[in-house]
Amino acid sequence: MVSSVIKHGFLILLLLFLFGVFYFTMEELDIMYDTFAKRYYLLNGLEDTASMNLVTGIYLDYRLFDSIFEAGILLIAVSGIIWISKHDIEEHNVHFMLDKFKTPDLFVMFARVVYPLMLVFGFYIIVNGHLSPGGGFQGGAIVATAILILYYIDPNKDTSTSFILSIEKIVFIIIVVFAMLSIFTKGTMFTNPFTSSDAGVQTIYLVLMNVLIGVKVALGLWAIFTAFLREGR
Amino acid sequence: MLALIEITAYALQILLIIIAIAIVVHKNNGTIIILITSFSLVTASLYVINNAPDVAIAEVAIGSAIIPLIYVISISRQREFIVLDRAMDDFIRKTFDKEGDGYRLLRDFSEYYKLELNISNDPELCNYDPDKDQVICEKTNVDLIIQKDEKTGEYLLKGKDSSVLMHKLEELASNYPNIKVVRFKDGEFGD
Repeated sequence: MVSSVIKHGFLILLLLFLFGVFYFTMEELDIMYDTFAKRYYLLNGLEDTASMNLVTGIYLDYRLFDSIFEAGILLIAVSGIIWISKHDIEEHNVHFMLDKFKTPDLFVMFARVVYPLMLVFGFYIIVNGHLSPGGGFQGGAIVATAILILYYIDPNKDTSTSFILSIEKIVFIIIVVFAMLSIFTKGTMFTNPFTSSDAGVQTIYLVLMNVLIGVKVALGLWAIFTAFLREGR
Repeated sequence: MLALIEITAYALQILLIIIAIAIVVHKNNGTIIILITSFSLVTASLYVINNAPDVAIAEVAIGSAIIPLIYVISISRQREFIVLDRAMDDFIRKTFDKEGDGYRLLRDFSEYYKLELNISNDPELCNYDPDKDQVICEKTNVDLIIQKDEKTGEYLLKGKDSSVLMHKLEELASNYPNIKVVRFKDGEFGD
């Protein structure tokens, strides 16, 4: 009993420390919990960003700088996975060997029906990101899932991972350049470059940015799938 | 008096804890994948109850579509045990009345781990590089190579050092006097 306590003493100390931090933080919660930002976004969000969905307004206008680094994190993660799985980047036309007899026929049949619907739903979520819940990241993930299902329907599909990765990098550069365009029109970087206060004009920027982010996320997740599919055989 | 939505939220949170414990306790991989999927579905409905539909869509797309499919791919990759037979004699060959020692050993081994045994003697799968003294397998990922030592008459089972299965194979092979298990580092094996 005593020896085990000494053995795991470090863990117990760590738990006590975390509990102490949690307790003292909860005591100060009233001071920390401030609704100023929330009230500001609710009052001025629609007027500033022309986005009905305030979440899209925040991550594409107020906090665009943060969103750029989120997109960069995904790019770094994809590059790391491709690097760890040790395949040559010049390797072309790898044959995927998903065993067709192991995949149930029912799954393949349903995948054929669901695949176009998933694609359309993904594009709807991307394009409608400023009006309804969703946006570039969520829609891109749905499109990527539809692409993954394609490999179950057709196991012999060929894909060049290096091509996907290079397109993703180009799209990321386009996103960064597009986000910095506002320095020429408004004098500050990382905001909406259109100076017109008309909501229709400002919406163009939101839709374009959502489409770019959606394409980037879909390509990144697609590259991860190809790394996983090529692993093993 | 609690509103209906609050009762639902509490029920979902209790369900979340039950699913989390079940994920840790279960042993079957397929069941665990389904449980992970249902975990993120329950989480997504909790997000919707707390007025966060954006996060809920992301949770559904990532947690219950992409992650289970990646798990399914990874697990189905690992179920096959590919053996390359370069001895080409009655060590492996399965005839109508008799099966070789090696086949019996590998069958016991694959039954123990519930693997699908795939024995091939296709010489094009791997080729021996005499300059570097290593075996290069380009087309597929071979788990085990069988070779015969011409001087001593021993059969050599060459496997990867990193594979956790090799320990059990050595244990099984100790019953057979003419079988020797050799471990290679991954680079030398020619992955």
